[in-house]
Amino acid sequence: MPDSLMHTWRQPAGGGLAAEALEKAQSQGPVRAVMSSEGVLVLDPAVDPVDLARAYVELARDMSCGQCFPCRLGTQQLAKIMERICAGQGSREDLSRLESLANQISDTARCDIGRTLARPINDILAAHRGLFKQTVDSGRKVEPGSYQSLVTAPCINACPSHVDVPGYLEGIRLGRYDQAMAKVRNDCPMPGTIGRVCVRPCEANCRRNQLDQPLAIRWLKRFLADQEMSGAIAPPEPPAEFKEPKVAVVGAGPAGLSCAYYLGRQGFHTTVFEAQEGPGGMAAYGIPSYRLPREVLAFEAQQVERTGAEIRYGVRVGEDVSLKELGDQGYSAVFIGVGAPEASSMRCEGEDAGYQCFMTGVEFLAQASRGQQPLEGKKMLVIGGGNVAMDCVRTARRLGFDQVNLLYRRTEAEMPADPAEIREAKEEGVHFHYLVAPQKVLAADGKVTGLECLKMELGEPDDSGRRRPVPVQGSEFVLECDAIIPAVGQICVVDCVLPDAGGVTPWKTLVVDQDTFQSDDPTVFGGGDCVTGPATLIGALAAGKKAAGFLATHLQGGECRPGPQHLLESLVQALGVYDPEEAFAYPGLTEKAEPPTLDPEVRVQSFAEVEGGATPPQARVEASRCLRCYRLAVAALDPASPRS
Amino acid sequence: MSQIKINGREVPFEPGQTILEAAKAAGITIPTLCHLPQTQASGVCRVCVVEVAGSDRLLPSCETPAAEGMEVKTDSPRVREARKGILEMLLASGQHNCLVMDLPPEKWTSFQIETMSRPWHDQICPAHGDCRLQDLAVEYGVTVAAQEPPSGEFPLDDEHPMIVRDFSRCIQCGRCVAACNEVQVNRAIPAPWGPRKDQDPDQGWYPLVDYDNCTHCGECVQACPVGALFEKKAYGLAYANDVEKVRTTCPYCGVGCQLWLHVKDGKIVKVTGVENGSPNKGRLCVKGRFGYDFIFSDERLTTPLIKQADGSFAEASWDEALDLVANRFMEIKQKHGPDALAGVSCARSINEDSYQMQKLFRAVIGTNNIDHCART
Repeated sequence: MPDSLMHTWRQPAGGGLAAEALEKAQSQGPVRAVMSSEGVLVLDPAVDPVDLARAYVELARDMSCGQCFPCRLGTQQLAKIMERICAGQGSREDLSRLESLANQISDTARCDIGRTLARPINDILAAHRGLFKQTVDSGRKVEPGSYQSLVTAPCINACPSHVDVPGYLEGIRLGRYDQAMAKVRNDCPMPGTIGRVCVRPCEANCRRNQLDQPLAIRWLKRFLADQEMSGAIAPPEPPAEFKEPKVAVVGAGPAGLSCAYYLGRQGFHTTVFEAQEGPGGMAAYGIPSYRLPREVLAFEAQQVERTGAEIRYGVRVGEDVSLKELGDQGYSAVFIGVGAPEASSMRCEGEDAGYQCFMTGVEFLAQASRGQQPLEGKKMLVIGGGNVAMDCVRTARRLGFDQVNLLYRRTEAEMPADPAEIREAKEEGVHFHYLVAPQKVLAADGKVTGLECLKMELGEPDDSGRRRPVPVQGSEFVLECDAIIPAVGQICVVDCVLPDAGGVTPWKTLVVDQDTFQSDDPTVFGGGDCVTGPATLIGALAAGKKAAGFLATHLQGGECRPGPQHLLESLVQALGVYDPEEAFAYPGLTEKAEPPTLDPEVRVQSFAEVEGGATPPQARVEASRCLRCYRLAVAALDPASPRS
Repeated sequence: MSQIKINGREVPFEPGQTILEAAKAAGITIPTLCHLPQTQASGVCRVCVVEVAGSDRLLPSCETPAAEGMEVKTDSPRVREARKGILEMLLASGQHNCLVMDLPPEKWTSFQIETMSRPWHDQICPAHGDCRLQDLAVEYGVTVAAQEPPSGEFPLDDEHPMIVRDFSRCIQCGRCVAACNEVQVNRAIPAPWGPRKDQDPDQGWYPLVDYDNCTHCGECVQACPVGALFEKKAYGLAYANDVEKVRTTCPYCGVGCQLWLHVKDGKIVKVTGVENGSPNKGRLCVKGRFGYDFIFSDERLTTPLIKQADGSFAEASWDEALDLVANRFMEIKQKHGPDALAGVSCARSINEDSYQMQKLFRAVIGTNNIDHCART
């Protein structure tokens, strides 16, 4: 922990001030002072606390949303008082008014922009009262410094792409759908997809978890996407003019589309090369249409095209065209977003024997998504406990398999799949078998007949914190079946795209700078699953968005280096703004809205979408539950220099 | 029944009721400003905040659901101080040139001169005497001396023939927005929205109207708790304390909307809807609210006229006029039969009048030729 001149940071439950986070941030650039809703931290004596307070109050004034009176009027009063003090015209009364006004705003404001004001202002006044008094008494003029500012919230901070959740929820509440969607599109280029299948870390970090139930954030984003698809919201406009350099994007999955979209918004043409015949990558070939209808993906790809991207399907970069040839064709840079499209092995005897009716989950879902019948039979075994395994069992039910069995080597508590997915699979009649591991694929005449399995029991926790499954000796048994689908994970194949270049890990993922997404070759960027290994869709979108920012810098001749804004973001990200232990005086008495779903008997009949959208009144009521837990931060991160 | 304690008194409540509703039902008054009954609480003015044991913040009673065992104080010094603080900032933020604007003497004159130089400001505020902000400012002993004066310009919407939108007195309470979007459902006043940094500095968060959707019903004017929205033709005619309010039924159609006629010296100066009065519950249309000038028109007929042989009209009594019409109808009926006559009644007549009209034609004249103007 670096020495601090002042430190009043709130100690979040389970952590305390993350000294590591601060030290890491300091290794990237000078952290001189931070003033935020969570407390004040001053490390550099050259930072003038009076000026820091001014910067904070000005941020609060600018972020005030104008709805509630105390914040709208009070932040303006505070900013005027600070302006007067800094101009050398303040008085002792100004100091006491500063304090009482901040307390009053926090006591009465509607949301946390106002409610969190008092703490840092009281802290800084208490710690530096002498300086504040001396400033107003002597009429000292305060030199304005340079600060970075950040506005976040527990939900925003938890989202890899930092979507302004309270912002767009407020837009829904007030019926301003177009503006709400503009906020979503600032950070999420595929709202229809994310609004249906996101793993929603935002909801897990919603403060209503402590009060009653979290907001249905995903469903509300889908509501906006539905409004956009139905034409009630105008789709995004392309930029007024395009710049000269163009970029090749490899893969029209979430990472690639996101990168192309945000490059388009910044005025760069892109060409997206996609090996498959349609857009979406793993979102299309890994997520069944009953969860994510194909027309949604098509619509979202169209919006990417509208912002300046051209998508070429059926082109396999690495086979049909090399990266070098792309360079020769005039592309100034490349973004690689090829995902993790190959299935992992189960390490089970017979899986590579090429038996009929043995197919990987990835291949099964891909064929099914093309409308084919990949496997025939009645009894199926699916091995795995993730969302892909759930997609496989539920798809199998829709393809006519009567007895669909899921085998997982741990118990339901350790399953990585979304609990809602598990529930819906059970509703659809899937049989779950826990503590079972595959041992050997049994076949006759080259066709699968069964699977020899082993019973397991849970042992000590492993690196992931989950209890490790341990085989029970001599517990072998056989499950007969018509087909077997392993769905135990996916692997990357970046080496196909980059056959000669270095920068590929033994896991065939691409090595890039974790902040800038630039690889060893400065013209090659990458993001998404092909960098991280199989991960979340929103993570891939975030990578595409962030990489587009650095790509634009690179294309305009700039050096790709994370700036002070980036530093503040990662610092706040690491410090965290969510306290899962927080206690509320009274329960909130509200319930999370539940999307309508088709009956299980109906949904196994077809690939019709299971979950329905929200009506405008439902969306409004749900959006009104948002507590708007905004958190503000200003920080002195540049070397000392006067504000321009 | 569930109970909460308000100011030391046990008060029952129904699940789902807010503290404000429970208090009101028990006869305990909590002041409100932005609250517009029948619409979703916007919870923006924070004047209705109360102290709730266990909460480190004051809570808005209009939005906070009552919970079993809650202990609420509606009028504690902390609550009163908070309300006063909000009202002081609010009053100082606009050009409220009435008696409650207690600026120090050195600022008073320049404020008045500046304010009165604006259009529609040559008199004191038209809401004087009927202003929620004024009432609360008096009740809470509000003083604006310590406040920073407002900066920037106030927009003025003077385009509408009947309504002035003078945002120099707008407190941005959102009641006009709710009245338009939720009560009348015209959706002509979009909710102002977004952080201050994203707003057009000339327009701020003022509730500007999209006249493409406006039906000119004036519901927004009625909802305005201050002098920001007012009727153009009522301007300067009278203040609230000068008028007598007469309740009547709107004659324009058969709905029977209840009106308050604001009458001064025997003349209507303004019309408003009767809040809580059935069937309209305060709502009016453009005609009911603004269409009263004809009453005092010089061109209005005040007695029947009978056309003479030379084509001129001569004044007559009602008996003369009705006898003439009845006799001519009977002549036509005798000469050409009852089907030579037809009746067309007014479509906006009440049911009883329409019934009488068809009875006249079917039973007295003897024809089925009866209809009303909306079908002819």
